[in-house]
Amino acid sequence: MKIIVCIKQVPDTTNVKINPETNTLVREGVESIINPFDMYAIEEAVRLKEKYEGTVTALSMGPPQVESALRESVSLGVDEIYLLSDRAFAGADTLATAYTLAAGINNLEGADVVLMGKQAIDGDTGQVGPGVAENLGLPHITDVRKIEEIDGNGYMTVQRLLEDGYVRLKVKLPAVLTVVKEINEPRMPSLKGKMRAKSKEMKVWTAADLDIDKERIGLSGSPTWVTKIFTPPKPKGGKIFQGETRDTVSELLDELVKGGIPIKRGGGK
Amino acid sequence: MNHFKTTEGYEEYLKDESRFTGTAESISFPRSEGDIQAVLSELGPEQILTIQGARTGITGGAVPLSGHAMNLSGMKNITGLRFNKEENCFYITVEPGLTLKELRDRVSAGDIPVTGPSAGLFKSQPEHFFPPDPTETGASLGGMAACNASGARSFHYGSVRNYIYGLRLLLADGSLLILKRSVQKASGTRFSLVTEGGREISGELPRYSSPDVKNAAGYFIKPGMDLLDLFIGSEGTLGIITSLELKLIPLPGVIWGGLYFFREPDKALDFIIQAREYALKPQAMEFFDPGSLRLLMEIKKSMNTFSSVPAVDEAMQAACYLEFHGDSEDEVSGRVVYITDIFEGLGGNADDCWLATNPQELTRIIDFRHAVPEAVNLSIDLLKKKNPSLTKLGTDLAVPSRHLKEMYGLYVRDLSRSGLKHVIFGHIGDNHLHVNILPADTGEYEKGRLLYGKWVDKTIECGGTVSAEHGIGKIKKDFLYRMYGEENVASMLALKKIFDPGLRLNRGNLFR
Ligand SMILES: Cc1cc2nc3c(=O)[nH]c(=O)nc-3n(C[C@H](O)[C@H](O)[C@H](O)COP(=O)(O)OP(=O)(O)OC[C@H]3O[C@@H](n4cnc5c(N)ncnc54)[C@H](O)[C@@H]3O)c2cc1C
Repeated sequence: MKIIVCIKQVPDTTNVKINPETNTLVREGVESIINPFDMYAIEEAVRLKEKYEGTVTALSMGPPQVESALRESVSLGVDEIYLLSDRAFAGADTLATAYTLAAGINNLEGADVVLMGKQAIDGDTGQVGPGVAENLGLPHITDVRKIEEIDGNGYMTVQRLLEDGYVRLKVKLPAVLTVVKEINEPRMPSLKGKMRAKSKEMKVWTAADLDIDKERIGLSGSPTWVTKIFTPPKPKGGKIFQGETRDTVSELLDELVKGGIPIKRGGGK
Repeated sequence: MNHFKTTEGYEEYLKDESRFTGTAESISFPRSEGDIQAVLSELGPEQILTIQGARTGITGGAVPLSGHAMNLSGMKNITGLRFNKEENCFYITVEPGLTLKELRDRVSAGDIPVTGPSAGLFKSQPEHFFPPDPTETGASLGGMAACNASGARSFHYGSVRNYIYGLRLLLADGSLLILKRSVQKASGTRFSLVTEGGREISGELPRYSSPDVKNAAGYFIKPGMDLLDLFIGSEGTLGIITSLELKLIPLPGVIWGGLYFFREPDKALDFIIQAREYALKPQAMEFFDPGSLRLLMEIKKSMNTFSSVPAVDEAMQAACYLEFHGDSEDEVSGRVVYITDIFEGLGGNADDCWLATNPQELTRIIDFRHAVPEAVNLSIDLLKKKNPSLTKLGTDLAVPSRHLKEMYGLYVRDLSRSGLKHVIFGHIGDNHLHVNILPADTGEYEKGRLLYGKWVDKTIECGGTVSAEHGIGKIKKDFLYRMYGEENVASMLALKKIFDPGLRLNRGNLFR
């Protein structure tokens, strides 16, 4: 089985600061990490490989320093690594990114399964996974929390996370899946993996290596315009109701009604 | 300066992490050295008082038995910073209530509210750090100094003592001593100090010698010693630390951590013994026995807070954590390769080793290590719920290197014969393993206590210490007498009387 994982290098936002004057991310001193959701995609890819035999290829688009993220994926069990890197790719929004990654996957002659994280923590859009699938003309399932099995006819059964449970879906491979953190527990990199990562050859492809329309990549291929980034003001005030649930719910309802929200109260006991 | 009756909802201040509980008539929360002086004069010349830091101690040292409790956890200011160019080190002055975590966070964020040339340099220089790393980062620096705390990295960097360059200390009568490293020294066994008020305090140092292992039991004594060292590790029995000057050294550019797993615990011991022969040995060497790995996996399944602890293969029976600090990746990876050869030579498989080479991975392994003592404490809490009279039986014994295997063998034999549930982990590089017994009932507790006593005797016979890092406090006093003998402990008490004639400070610590 051929598995491709798409990964993104992002700033470690668990400890980023916002410059209060410019309202932008302070990037100095912030470590770059593999997007945390992609770690689950890598782990799931490696588990699929271990179960069904095959190879895992990691693919990323970004500046040359993304090499460290790709090498890290090798230490976790990825076999081959490819980087799409070109000035022409810079400034891509989710549409151009999905288009470019799909072109990279085509260059790799496709895959049986493409795995991605459900979203990247720097943009939180969740659009690139489905976008890649559309560009490849493949079915996709987002928010996968479990891969149950792949049967002999090339169908995969998965569980897709919902707010209040999950839905079980069957999809014909090849397909694109985005995964949530409930799907597995990423392993620690092994020493052997680290040694392999150090010596692994990484292939870099530029725009010229891909079969693409130059108008659809980078800034020029990106219809999204970011006009302003700001930190939302911290909500002030608020009220916490404490005590027995019965009493607090009733207090909350009174408060809402007082605030002008029309609520019809039933005859609860 | 306000102080309160301890009946007014301050019950939690009557115990520490040993769960040993005492009693007091009043408690105060001074905010400055001036506040402490005010409390001392209000208390008058007779009142007994117990000093408290963050109460993470596990020997009852900060637990009051009577009188007044003085809690310093509100004194958290950073008050000074200077740079020493020759050493490329910063010296930072802090109040005793600042916790290790707060110090680390503030140092790494450059959040040091001091002005002057050093403050500017601090921002422009490569990062510096405070090496001592006791597992409990909620400990206060005053408490750490009072116990001479240490941690995994002490294998290379030494205990807190090595990073203290100055102390301000109030004696029980309110007089102030300002001590600086290399400034006030004993002349042979004679010493003399002068308080800020001009009073001379002099006497003879006791004549016992401390064991040649990592040690936190009893007063540190050496002819010709730096007198600052007398107060470090004195468990608050000589004076109240009101300010500390600490050394920050350059942070190594590269820190890697490896967790090596073994299918046989004995092989892990051989691994450590061989690895520490290496000239470029790791900066930390820690050990986890089969019980540690199993307890961790049990608690991972049952408690959410532990769910992020990475899963360990069930076939693994022991693990060693090694940390490597260096200037470049090439240098560090060369050392890792060397150590890994030793690992493979003992039948280890490089697939059974986790290697962390970036901060996120390192955090995951370090959290794994920290989870072990936490899991032990939680298990004890659960046992205590069923039987409140049970307390933790946790050892803090260290022996000279040549006795490591013999000691470990003794623990394993005694424990498997007794059938007691147990966890052995700790600072194996310094031959300092914590054996924790998890007794199910009073009978098992008694059995465990007897074994502990037997191991103490064996440790003393081997030239080791009854406390390598936690101190003696109130619950290990008998061990101190066994280790040094009645006469030597009496000479410690005589020394205390020179500084605290009324035996008012931390009564019940060290001495019967
Ligand atoms: C989960 C866990 C893990 C731990 N791991 C380690 C470890 O790896 N290494 C280690 O060394 N310890 C460890 N400890 C023990 C503990 O954290 C240390 O002993 C620590 O130094 C105590 O600091 P504290 O501020 O909590 O002191 P407290 O418990 O408040 O006090 C300890 C002693 O210091 C005295 N004292 C406190 N402040 C002052 C002061 N300003 N002046 C004079 N005397 C003072 C007290 O009177 C008392 O005798 C661990 C504890 C826990 C709970």
